[in-house]
Amino acid sequence: MNIYVCVKQTVDLQQVRIRKETREPVLDGVPLTIGNIDKNALEEGVRLRDKLGGKVIGVSAGSEELNDTIKEALAMGADEAIMIIAPELEGAESSTVAMALAKAIEKTGEIGIILLGEGSSDNYSGQVGPRIAEILDLPQITYVSSLEAEGNTVKAVRNLEDCFETVEAEMPVVVSVVSEINEPRIPAVTQILKAGRKPKQIYSPAELGVEIAGSQIKTISNLAPEQDRKRLLFQEGVGQDVKSLVAALESEGLLGR
Amino acid sequence: MDFKLTKEQELIQKAAREFAEKSIMPIAEQIDRDNFVPQEIFDEMGELGFFGLQFPEEDGGTGAGYSCYPLVVEQIARASSGVAMTFSVHSLGTSAIYTFGTPEQKARYMPDASSGKKLSSFAFTEPATGSDPKQITTTAVQDGDYYIINGTKRFISAADLDGPIVIFAKDDETGKPTAFIVDKNCPGYSVSEPWHKIGNRGGRLLDVYLKDVRVPAANLLGPKGNGYMVLQYGIAFGKVGVSSTALGGMQAALELSIKYAKEKAHRDSTIAKFPTTQVTIAKIAEKVEAARWLTYRLGYLAESTKDLREFAKEAALTKAFVTEAAVDVSRMAVAVHGSYGLMDDYKVSMIYRDAIIGEQIEGVNDMQRMIVAGNLLS
Repeated sequence: MNIYVCVKQTVDLQQVRIRKETREPVLDGVPLTIGNIDKNALEEGVRLRDKLGGKVIGVSAGSEELNDTIKEALAMGADEAIMIIAPELEGAESSTVAMALAKAIEKTGEIGIILLGEGSSDNYSGQVGPRIAEILDLPQITYVSSLEAEGNTVKAVRNLEDCFETVEAEMPVVVSVVSEINEPRIPAVTQILKAGRKPKQIYSPAELGVEIAGSQIKTISNLAPEQDRKRLLFQEGVGQDVKSLVAALESEGLLGR
Repeated sequence: MDFKLTKEQELIQKAAREFAEKSIMPIAEQIDRDNFVPQEIFDEMGELGFFGLQFPEEDGGTGAGYSCYPLVVEQIARASSGVAMTFSVHSLGTSAIYTFGTPEQKARYMPDASSGKKLSSFAFTEPATGSDPKQITTTAVQDGDYYIINGTKRFISAADLDGPIVIFAKDDETGKPTAFIVDKNCPGYSVSEPWHKIGNRGGRLLDVYLKDVRVPAANLLGPKGNGYMVLQYGIAFGKVGVSSTALGGMQAALELSIKYAKEKAHRDSTIAKFPTTQVTIAKIAEKVEAARWLTYRLGYLAESTKDLREFAKEAALTKAFVTEAAVDVSRMAVAVHGSYGLMDDYKVSMIYRDAIIGEQIEGVNDMQRMIVAGNLLS
């Protein structure tokens, strides 16, 4: 059984600084990595493979640097990788990326499960998974916090914030996971060193019949939230100050929710 | 010239950082307080392949190379210098076996040492001498196919943990120091309680008592009477670990200073606005970067060196600079914290205690300078 895990190349968010004057993120020189929730999807794929057999195939679309970035997915346990590489795929909108990923998966073999993170670490639009399911006409289960597979059936628990929902579906199926589903493993040194020697298949968008149209999405703002202090001072004595503090917190919507 | 890490090196560094942040940082204070590293930490380091980083696959290592070793030790020391110290000394003992061991010795000791199942030690220092080979009093007397070793070794890392220990003793034939590989905890081998030292706590130092310890002649490490060579060059490799340990502490000191400066309120602002704080933090950063690249370079040299004497000079130079810089950096980091920096509640005080250790171990820094000058002026 093929377990496809879609991963996205993003900047390492832990190493992004915010320029204080403009609140813009400083991305120059920040190493590229695969997204955090993608690692949860990958971990789940590796666990399923260890239980059910088959192969875990990492799938990703992006720029030339992906050749290097994908090693992280291979080090974490993917058996092989499929990449769609073109400069214009870096930062491409979800519809284009979903089409590229779906076509690459469709081209390369029999589908068991397609796993994704619920949203990417950088934009978190959460669109790629559902779009892949639509393109390939497959059932999809989103917000998955627990996943089991037996025979040809998957059973998933969906975390819907105010309740949990347990659902079943027949394979092939698209499953997008939330971060609490597992704790991704730290790759061992030997796995990291073997990653570069695992099989990799590279496609261009043209080979998959994917056309990359101009972007229909315009980013209006990408700034860090302001974190100014309120600088409220209460100096009327403890009795009054506590009341004033409570009133101030309530007025900010921080109490009594 | 390329200062960029390869993707593999970057991932190994990241794996070490994630491990250190997840498994060591939450218990770093406990390790310091109890002067003890839980076995699970070493087990996990073994599973991740850290103990065999710099050794080839045929000797049970990962084949990643010595260049990767400082990247990992730095990240571990950033969380706990005590863990890093044990790791570093293990590498010192294992490197000596790898460099000077016979194929049979390597086959016997390297796989378990490279996987971390056994932790190596290195024992030269005695109650009466730290560095002078002529002053050692431990003796090795040949008895057929065995040597009988008697003596006391002082301040020995991981001396109570199972594994090989490289022991230096004067043999009865040459009267000069000779190195032997001894199995710790063999008959006649015993240890003291751990010393209560000022820093790098968790990296435990013990005294080793050797009473009629019988060691097969096959366990001679290097030629008889050539123990000084094993000491000099073995310990040169150990300085990669000592420098990397100091570097990790410096990086932690820098991060803590920046965080504290940005948070510590003064009137309507923070102390980060003070020019004196800014100058101090800039000075810390200067030293951290200089130390980092010297240390990474030493890792590269350990991997590529053909000339052990030249490498020993570079190791001495790096160790002296980096460990001294670590003391400067941690002192400045304490200054950024003011009186709070003196309190156990603040990690920077531990980093200061840790930093002081580096200048004294594996050869005091003035001795490093004698090695450097001896090479340059010869």
